Amino acid sequence: MRLLDYLQSRGLRASTGMCTLGDGQAWEIIINPSTVERTVRGRLSLIVVHTADDAAKMHFDLCEGASLNMIELFTADSFSECNINQQAESDCRIVSVSVAGSVADYTINLDGEHAANHLRSAYIAGGEEHTKVALRVNHNVPDCTSDSLVKGVAGGKSTGEFYGLVYVAQDAQRTDARQTNSNIEIGADAKIITKPQLEIYADDVKCSHGATVGQLDGDAVLYMRQRGLSEEQARRLQIEGFVSDIVLHAGEVGEVLAEELTTKLEIL
Amino acid sequence: MAEKDKDLLDNIDGEYKYGFTTDIETETIARGLNEDVIRLISAKKEEPEWMLERRLKAFRHWQTMTLPTWAHLDIPEIDFQDIIYYAAPKQRKKLGSMDEVDPELKRTFDKLGIPLEEQMALAGVAVDAVMDSVSVKTTFRETLAEKDIIFCSISEAIREYPDLVKKYLGSVVPHTDNFYAALNAAVFSDGSFCYIPKGVRCPMELSTYFRINAEGTGQFERTLLVADEGAYVSYLEGCTAPRRDENQLHAAVVEIVVEKDAEVKYSTVQNWYPGDKEGRGGIYNFVTKRGLCREGGHLSWTQVETGSAITWKYPSCVLLGDNSVGEFYSVAMTNNYQQADTGTKMIHIGRNTRSRIVSKGISAGKSQNAYRGLVRVAKGADNARNYSQCDSLLIGDKCGAHTFPEIDSHNPTAVLEHEATTSKISEEQLFYCNQRGLSTEDAVGLIVNGYAREVIAKLPMEFAVEAQKLLALSLEGSVG
Amino acid sequence: MLSVKNLHASIGDKEILRGINLEVRAGEVHAIMGPNGSGKSTLASVLAGNEKFTVTEGSVEFMGQNLLDLSIEDRARMGLFLGFQYPVEIPGVTMANFMKMAVNEQRKFRGEDPLTAGEFLRLMREKSAIVELDSKLTSRAVNEGFSGGEKKKNEIFQMAMLDPKLAVLDETDSGLDIDALRVVATGVTKLHTEENATVVITHYQRLLDYIVPDYVHVLYKGQIIYSGDKTLALKLEKEGYDWLISKEE
Repeated sequence: MRLLDYLQSRGLRASTGMCTLGDGQAWEIIINPSTVERTVRGRLSLIVVHTADDAAKMHFDLCEGASLNMIELFTADSFSECNINQQAESDCRIVSVSVAGSVADYTINLDGEHAANHLRSAYIAGGEEHTKVALRVNHNVPDCTSDSLVKGVAGGKSTGEFYGLVYVAQDAQRTDARQTNSNIEIGADAKIITKPQLEIYADDVKCSHGATVGQLDGDAVLYMRQRGLSEEQARRLQIEGFVSDIVLHAGEVGEVLAEELTTKLEIL
Repeated sequence: MAEKDKDLLDNIDGEYKYGFTTDIETETIARGLNEDVIRLISAKKEEPEWMLERRLKAFRHWQTMTLPTWAHLDIPEIDFQDIIYYAAPKQRKKLGSMDEVDPELKRTFDKLGIPLEEQMALAGVAVDAVMDSVSVKTTFRETLAEKDIIFCSISEAIREYPDLVKKYLGSVVPHTDNFYAALNAAVFSDGSFCYIPKGVRCPMELSTYFRINAEGTGQFERTLLVADEGAYVSYLEGCTAPRRDENQLHAAVVEIVVEKDAEVKYSTVQNWYPGDKEGRGGIYNFVTKRGLCREGGHLSWTQVETGSAITWKYPSCVLLGDNSVGEFYSVAMTNNYQQADTGTKMIHIGRNTRSRIVSKGISAGKSQNAYRGLVRVAKGADNARNYSQCDSLLIGDKCGAHTFPEIDSHNPTAVLEHEATTSKISEEQLFYCNQRGLSTEDAVGLIVNGYAREVIAKLPMEFAVEAQKLLALSLEGSVG
Repeated sequence: MLSVKNLHASIGDKEILRGINLEVRAGEVHAIMGPNGSGKSTLASVLAGNEKFTVTEGSVEFMGQNLLDLSIEDRARMGLFLGFQYPVEIPGVTMANFMKMAVNEQRKFRGEDPLTAGEFLRLMREKSAIVELDSKLTSRAVNEGFSGGEKKKNEIFQMAMLDPKLAVLDETDSGLDIDALRVVATGVTKLHTEENATVVITHYQRLLDYIVPDYVHVLYKGQIIYSGDKTLALKLEKEGYDWLISKEE
């Protein structure tokens, strides 16, 4: 089932743009925004769906102690720029999934102490798509945490690109920042470009990043074939497994996101 | 070398120990750069016409180029017309034996811990010493000649082995490569040339020692190293310069050709004058180093970078042949106001090519230290493998440690991994060492050396000892 | 059921199997023993169809078909099960999902309808009891983070789910403590019937205390140099392989 159909089945009405999910939260649904500007006090749960080849510009100011829970899905080659400024004790959790040649460009400013940012992103690129995730996390003050994991699959003649930067300002002591980018290249003509970067001006920090480019695990494919799965099934299962820990963070919507990804796999 | 070196190192107080100048008669030309200067350099080197043509071509190309600005460096404006492009210790005649080297010059290298003959003989290292712009003495030529190994200054090679030079010079780093490589191709005055013939295993370490002495000069040496099929050589390079308030430019090019199944180990201990505690003076070290590996070739770069005010340097491997291997091991240490932007490029073109990158950055004082790397897998490079590990250690809260890697894969059979961590020396570690009776400074030295060990272990023994001491020395004043 | 004749196989230029002959009939249990590097695991891999190995000579017939002509998965669907010495971890792929696909592929191969979700869950529950497999493990990713013992139990669990005609168990006892060994071995014994057969590859006699073999073969340098009944295993345990090897040379 597609995400929008699912949300309608859960009571999404065009008039309100709201729907209540199993977690009891009222989720705001935004489809193809051109600009979004919000100041978040308390809690905001948001699903943003990009179904058109448009450009979107989003800006969120998280006040002290505020929390933003955002799920973003790209099914079209849209370009989205998202700026999030976080004040003290604020918490931002993002799950971003793309099945198209989209550009998702996030800039996170951790401006207040003990702010936390958690981002999980997965994409599957096929055909001649160029899918890009850019992520700049600025630790401007001490005691903030950020944890980002971006997973990409590039098939066909597509290009998957990750641009990541963790920036730690001079006074931002006790920063805890992690950024990981993992990729699977499956098309003979596919390309992966990844730039995970650290720019650090404080010494009492825990920062790490990692990037991998790989292929499907041949031994795992062999193992699954020995249990009777076709090579095709074994490969698909493995890719689904690869992105599964991303959609896991999207609660009940995660299953629908997983389906979107699986559907994309079928046409790779 | 080791003993003598040890004494020297033990007797100094942590300041840059190679900061003296040698009072020696030097021949220099006027400041500035134009075609006449290039003709003059070429004439002084008694070069053939084809070499002059190459220089002029490079110079004309250089004039169309602009300074690279992408590095994480704050580079003051450099007036390329205010540099002396040629300086040479005056010599009365061509050198026949060691006894004919100017005694003052010999003392200089002795003072640097690079005695040109006797000590090196014990250590089994052949040396080419380059002071300012010219090679002053190459040792052990006869021993090497027995194996048909050529080890001489590049000027001499241009005159004596024009076919080899024509074939290989500029074949790995063309003059069009970048701004500083173009400048070097136009004005390089000397450097080392080394050719290891087919199947020959070089019986001793080869070494070039670079020294900037004269004031106001730039040093633009050029190194060309060719390991023919199945050959092996281990090559060392060391650098020092006097302490001066001015900044001096060093723009070198090192080209390495690793033919089929050959192996080259290239080690550098870079200790150019880093400037004083306030950031005055120091060498600008803008260097292009690259090697090309053919089928089954193996090139390993090891560098310990502690000197220079600014370092801009990316020793790289072009893995052209199937089954070739590239390695890069680096320790880059910056203190006070030093800046370093260094790393490597591994370009996988052949099939089953492998590369490994281990980079250890250490930042102290108000310095900025960046790792910059590229791992590229070309479309046809099936089964390419790379593993990169880039660690940063911060000492003090006024310095910066940065990591700018890029992975660019065009082949679905590639397996590439990059990992980076940032850490500091923990209070617990220091306390533990203090409790066992170590001073904080010694403890930091110990911990830093432990941190860099994986890289230092790749250096030949003589250099490893020097490198460890250099690291400890460069740290002086960084902990309070 | 299985008839191996003069089987030669190599990896790269290196010949590892040098003329194996082996007959396995329904209802039988065979044990293959032998020192390290004798080719035991290679034999298992070649039977399963691992493409790293090239068969250079000989034939293998399984259930009346030429086994060597079949793909890995078709061999599996026909009822050939390989218990791996080192089961692979497959991150993110849950056991339940994996097994459901495997069971239904086998059913499709036989022309049967796929199991419904309910039927499948019931089957899982029933079979996991055989090896005392913690039911929580079936909701985890395949072998990911499993202990050595759990991985081996999981192999036998999968064997129970797929109900093979011929199970080849490659060093299933290695790395197991005595309790896990008992559970795994008892599981294998419970699954044994007059319709199926088991080939146990092992280093140690201790597994054979639980799984009693009808035949014991000694593999050495790529050939079966000696065959006997279960007493052979005991003799090997006591006296090692030297008496056989020196006789051979």
